[in-house]
Amino acid sequence: MTYTNKILRVNLTSGQSTTEPLNKDWAREYLGGKGLSIKYLYEELKPGIDPLSAENKLILMTGPTAGTIVPNSGKLAIAAKSPATGTILDCSIGGHFSPELKFAGYDAVIIEGKAKDPVFLYIEDEKVELLSAADLWGKGAHETEHLLADQLGDVITLAIGQAGENLLPMACISSELYRQAGRGGIGAVMGSKNLKAVSVRGTGGIKIADIRKFSAAMNKIKREDTMTDDNMWTYTDGTPMIVDLSHSTGILPTRNFQEGTFDQFENINSDAVKSALKAKKACFACPLACSNYVKKGKTEVEGPEYETLALCGSNCGIGDLEAVIEFNRLCDDHCLDTISTGNVVAFAMELTEKGIHDFGIRFGDIEKFLTMPTMIATKQGTGAELAMGVKKMAAKYGGKDFAMEVKGLEIPGYEPRGSWAMGLAYATSDRGACHMRAWPVAVEAFGDVDPFTSEGKAELVIGMQDDNSVKFSAIFCDCWAISNERMAEILSMLLEREVTAAELTTIGERIYNLAHLFNEREGFDRKDDNLPARIHNEKLTTGATEGKLLPKAEYEKMLTEYYKLRGWDENGKITAEKKKALNL
Amino acid sequence: LKALVFHAEKCIGCKLCHLACSAQNEGEFNPRLARLKITSSYNREGLFVKGQTCDLCLACVEACPEDAIIEKNGRLAFIADLCTDCGICVDICPHQVIVKKTKGVGVCVQCQSCANWCPTEALTFEEVKK
Repeated sequence: MTYTNKILRVNLTSGQSTTEPLNKDWAREYLGGKGLSIKYLYEELKPGIDPLSAENKLILMTGPTAGTIVPNSGKLAIAAKSPATGTILDCSIGGHFSPELKFAGYDAVIIEGKAKDPVFLYIEDEKVELLSAADLWGKGAHETEHLLADQLGDVITLAIGQAGENLLPMACISSELYRQAGRGGIGAVMGSKNLKAVSVRGTGGIKIADIRKFSAAMNKIKREDTMTDDNMWTYTDGTPMIVDLSHSTGILPTRNFQEGTFDQFENINSDAVKSALKAKKACFACPLACSNYVKKGKTEVEGPEYETLALCGSNCGIGDLEAVIEFNRLCDDHCLDTISTGNVVAFAMELTEKGIHDFGIRFGDIEKFLTMPTMIATKQGTGAELAMGVKKMAAKYGGKDFAMEVKGLEIPGYEPRGSWAMGLAYATSDRGACHMRAWPVAVEAFGDVDPFTSEGKAELVIGMQDDNSVKFSAIFCDCWAISNERMAEILSMLLEREVTAAELTTIGERIYNLAHLFNEREGFDRKDDNLPARIHNEKLTTGATEGKLLPKAEYEKMLTEYYKLRGWDENGKITAEKKKALNL
Repeated sequence: LKALVFHAEKCIGCKLCHLACSAQNEGEFNPRLARLKITSSYNREGLFVKGQTCDLCLACVEACPEDAIIEKNGRLAFIADLCTDCGICVDICPHQVIVKKTKGVGVCVQCQSCANWCPTEALTFEEVKK
């Protein structure tokens, strides 16, 4: 059994910390990670709270695989109510924090309240301390991590930068400089609590029955199921490989989603990134090492990932790899989510070029582009306007039809007009426009499924959403295309009980429905499950998606079918029968 | 004499070697109990990768006053009954890969679990200078 059965609860208002047993019934129904953190939030948060108030809670949740030799088990879920969207928000961060927390003896940390002055939380096994962060406040996440390492030695740290301190809706949490819990303003939740960082050192271990036999079985699985052609692209290339695929299939967001191809795509594709590669880098227990540590000119970063290349490259009209790397580094240091930040900059560029409002920045203007992360994170000049996020900018300045967001979360790097199921996935994602809940481009634009039909798309998206819910709860990284059968086999050994693939499918469905129920309780319904008007009304003009759009009627057809297959009513509310069937 | 050799340029910092070692030799997943030390992390100068493994230099064998660590068939062996927990071997190991335990120490026995798990052949078992 790989749960420590211990939760650490830290109240920042009182400065007190306590431990309590893990709720085993919930762990059985929700596993860990995404599912279990949402369950705790659903039960403990009052509906309608301000996400930036002391009433919100921040949960750091491991899963039953954490700290073990199971391949790709290194990720941590971080969850709270989202300041960007008002929905539930769970993020996934790689690196080494999750196993370290487990070695310290905890399945999770629940952080409540608000500190009077800036603090950081230091956990070393049973020792839990809140220490002054007065000297860290105002600093970037990178210097914060270095200073904490100077002070504490070999700890693993989660930190926020200036964006989190300034409560930006695109503020992320960073770890090991270049790993992020990126989306939905999770860093602003930390900032609102005056919590600059969490550092952990764990010296304990995890014991399971027949550990040598288990390790041998995992090594076989690693060789035969993880390090295979299906997954090794993450090692040979990593996510930059998607640039060529997206460009050639016409779904590479370009100049604020005005086009789906980018004439300078070769400057920012995988070959370009490889030319700057210094080392491959992995999360804990991951043999795939998707990260690329690159240096170009005077700058360096672990990245840039595809989303950054797309949203901060082509979508801003920037065909210069060094500029994208430097922008990426600045975002990481200030703790800005590159997906949302690339989007707000591109939106400001289009508003400027269309003469709607002059933000003084145009597509392809590298010099201005590189000033944006610092200006946004510290809310200087026009940066303070961009710091609102695309949705609020549109409400203030106009351009709503091409404000590329869903529920207030900016759209990732896949053009829905060239992958209709991706549009449905963005609209029905539990945290606003997200590509991690379902990624149907893999089978549509990049596969054999017709991208330009509504037929069968609801079922496709639902299956992916439920499967990913289990993966992010167990936790397995999405880089491993692991089957539910394989997950069941591994979890059976770790949990010392029979876990079946069918049970995992039900758990996935339960988790996705609970996330939806949280949002339903906050007042979300069908009116919120929509896409920007540009997707329905403006035809793309280049490449494989020339002349394409996602007609509103076809979209509504997919959505209606989606609700029906989900067991939700026409307005997107979960029916009593479905709640009962899933024990919600 | 064959022993573990670390190739920094191939290391991805996944720590699977540490887990394989501690599982094999200590019966738990605990990177801090591994009988090798592989570091891959960022400092102010950038990515820092360093690996320390037992290269059978035998400094511990020579230093142990109780002959509790011996070399046999090209591998170290630890004789728990003879150990007085003086800690000399831990301090003298030039690679800092002898693990001090509540009772006794853990020495690398060249079991190669780490190399068997390494996904990128950053750890190999090969001839070392003697």
